[in-house]
Amino acid sequence: MNALVKKKSTALAKRTTNDEKRTEYLAFVLAGDTYAVRIAVVGEILRPPPITEVPRAPSPIIGVVSVRGRLVTVMDLRRRFSLVESPLDSKSRILLVELAPDEHVGLIVDEVLSVYRLAESEIEAASVLGGEQPPYLVGVGRPRERKELVLVLLDLRAAIASS
Amino acid sequence: MAEQGGGKGEGDRAREEFLSEAQELVDGLGRDVLALDELSKAGRSDPELINDVFRAVHTLKGLSGLFGASMMSGLSHELEEVLDDLRLGRIELSQRVLDVVFRAVELYGLLLTVERGSGTDPSVDVEALLVALGDVSHRGRTGGASPVAQYELDPGLLGVLTEYEEHRLRTNIQNGMSLYKLRVQFPLATIDSALDELKAKARPFGEIITYLPTGGGSDADAIELEILIASKEDVERLRQGLGHAQLTIDEVPRRPMQARTSIPALAPSQRPSVPAFSPEPRTQALGELPRLAQSIAPPADRELSLRSVSQTVRVDIRKLDHLMNVVGELAIVRTELMAVADRLRGRAEMRPLMQELLRLHRSFERHLSQMQGGILEVRMVPLGQAFEKLARVVRQLSREHDKQVNLVITGAETELDKLIVEELSDPLMHMIRNALDHGIESQPDRIRAGKPPIGTIALNAFQKGNQVLLEVEDDGRGMDPKELAQVALRSGVLTADEARDISPRDALMLIFRPGFTTRTEATDLSGRGVGMDVVKTNIGKLGGVVEVSSEIGIGTKVTITLPITLAIISVLFVEVAGRTYAVPLSSVEEAIVYDARLTRAFEGREVMTVRGVTLPLCNLARLFGHTTSSPPPHRFVVVTSVGNRRVGFVVDGLIGQQDIVIKALGKTLRTTKGFAGATELGDQRVALVLDVGALVDEAFAAHDKAAELGRLPA
Repeated sequence: MNALVKKKSTALAKRTTNDEKRTEYLAFVLAGDTYAVRIAVVGEILRPPPITEVPRAPSPIIGVVSVRGRLVTVMDLRRRFSLVESPLDSKSRILLVELAPDEHVGLIVDEVLSVYRLAESEIEAASVLGGEQPPYLVGVGRPRERKELVLVLLDLRAAIASS
Repeated sequence: MAEQGGGKGEGDRAREEFLSEAQELVDGLGRDVLALDELSKAGRSDPELINDVFRAVHTLKGLSGLFGASMMSGLSHELEEVLDDLRLGRIELSQRVLDVVFRAVELYGLLLTVERGSGTDPSVDVEALLVALGDVSHRGRTGGASPVAQYELDPGLLGVLTEYEEHRLRTNIQNGMSLYKLRVQFPLATIDSALDELKAKARPFGEIITYLPTGGGSDADAIELEILIASKEDVERLRQGLGHAQLTIDEVPRRPMQARTSIPALAPSQRPSVPAFSPEPRTQALGELPRLAQSIAPPADRELSLRSVSQTVRVDIRKLDHLMNVVGELAIVRTELMAVADRLRGRAEMRPLMQELLRLHRSFERHLSQMQGGILEVRMVPLGQAFEKLARVVRQLSREHDKQVNLVITGAETELDKLIVEELSDPLMHMIRNALDHGIESQPDRIRAGKPPIGTIALNAFQKGNQVLLEVEDDGRGMDPKELAQVALRSGVLTADEARDISPRDALMLIFRPGFTTRTEATDLSGRGVGMDVVKTNIGKLGGVVEVSSEIGIGTKVTITLPITLAIISVLFVEVAGRTYAVPLSSVEEAIVYDARLTRAFEGREVMTVRGVTLPLCNLARLFGHTTSSPPPHRFVVVTSVGNRRVGFVVDGLIGQQDIVIKALGKTLRTTKGFAGATELGDQRVALVLDVGALVDEAFAAHDKAAELGRLPA
């Protein structure tokens, strides 16, 4: 039995050492397309509370919500990327992103899919999308486990800052 | 999110404690030095105050040494020497000494900023000040110190000396004589002749300065006198020379010069009660004398004095903010409780339970409001904290620029939220500098204009309802609206048409425009064209407004209107196109029914006649771009006033009045004007709080624009 355990753990160790460096990405849907962001920047995933619109705010901002006593500005990435907007439904979520201590922004997405651990070999440069890409487009993810999936990788902070 | 400050080490916390304690000491120091300055102007002094200043610096020295703030401890060391000299009467409280001490207080402020990790390195200033401190200290000079201070003389005796006797005492000491105290008994019957006889005997040896009955003596027919005599002889020679039977002689010991390490902790009772000397310069050296007694007093209560006397604690304002947030959450719980009670209302069998719940709810509400009031009270500090720094600045500036100015402060006790008071320092400083630089004329100009040669800057604070008003008023040359418009034209702030048509009131407001300056050359004080616009912006951030009024040749008054607190405000909830907004009650005058018959659209702007007065209106639904399918049959007008401008906001409904915790909107909404923040409603929803000041400005700008368009030929 001891030998068996030993064998298994060596195999495990081998796998982790052989593996490339992997980064966790959270995949979600925006207007029918799949996107992903590094999960480290997402503090929390929320069901949308009632959103209070802020009149005369810049276009991507749709309003403010309260998350456990904290005021959070909510942006709609679909407006940011000029995509088709659809009303919130039961699958809609808000990704909470901390920009600075005490400064949170919520981003509306149509649906949260799952987390993918992408190796560097599974990420293509943004230039494959052709032409010059905006700074918040950081690459294209192609997880080996789901060959048909194409993830547009975003830098959320850059996307917020440039809006 | 990690708890704020949770990851901080013990060292950081101790350091923060050091910084805030040091800041407190420096603030106190500033206050005391100002008080000394006032006293010194009146030709007086207060030994107790000098002792306080000395002790504060001593503590600062210890603290800064402990935390490795070497520049600060070096400065404290030198300053302590000077203060000790002052305390022991070795040097006098002159303007020169005060100047140096004032500079030290300023530098402490700078050094603390540096310790906090911001600000520029002030080591050059520190070096310069150390030299200045050395110059004024006793070591740095040969004469000038009070010679009498060298002797341990009874202040009771010194207190009754005549001016002539004081003069003789000083002269004798300066001539190198020693002092002796004689006690002699004389028979009452022959005292006059006996005393003359003694005086004659004493003359070859020295001079009798004074004599006083001691009240002692063994014989009822005799009187004992204490005689102070100055002589170049020693005790034995003197005794032989006087040759009186019932006589004791003691030499008055010289004070050891290095007795400066102890901190005398003087109880008031230990203070000698000595009649005050006349403040003539001739007697000034002796005027320092009562202070001697204090250094004689043993430092018995030293340990006691090191223990904190006050019953206060220092609290980080963020902790109070946190508590305030908790109160806000509790208020939401309260609302929800009420909703539960409402659900029970319709059911007969639940009636007793519901009444119980209502009773508890009332009690909860009462305690909650007490708690809220308590926390608010803790946050309140007197405005005096901000004013003290200003008094120092005025003193410094008026000396540097040779403009004599009196700063008259009223209402320093007016209380405001701590955060507001902190944020006020810089704007007030700008305003005062402007008043001094642009407002107050030079002395010859003032005299020519028939004004008092010394200018006055008044700083008034007072509470008015939910607001605090701050006025900075000078009696200087005032501002000419026409001239301001011309300057604005030259600097490109206004077009020629605008400059021609601007109203006097709006012309005065030009001083708050970025880039506006009346000076062709920048001075040290102001005139770089930044300042007043920054003042306006900063005050705006605090939810306040700035206004200015001026009369040519008479003076200028800038008024700041501020809310009392930032944390909790009373608001009126209103409904606009199905949305809920909060209007701070501090700027609400009244709410009236919108009456279309009293409303006129006048050159593109809507106005309503309210009790015979024209009120400009602002339709919030239209302003915010809300579209409503069906406007309600009855609408309301919320009449607001900010400063002396009034605007009526048209709303669909009035919901009610409530105290709310206001939260700031994030940076991403920084550019969105018209909202002061947001607050939570009971049901997870958020309502925006209107920034009435900004909206009123906007409404007026829109009206002005409409008026302009109206004038243009079609």
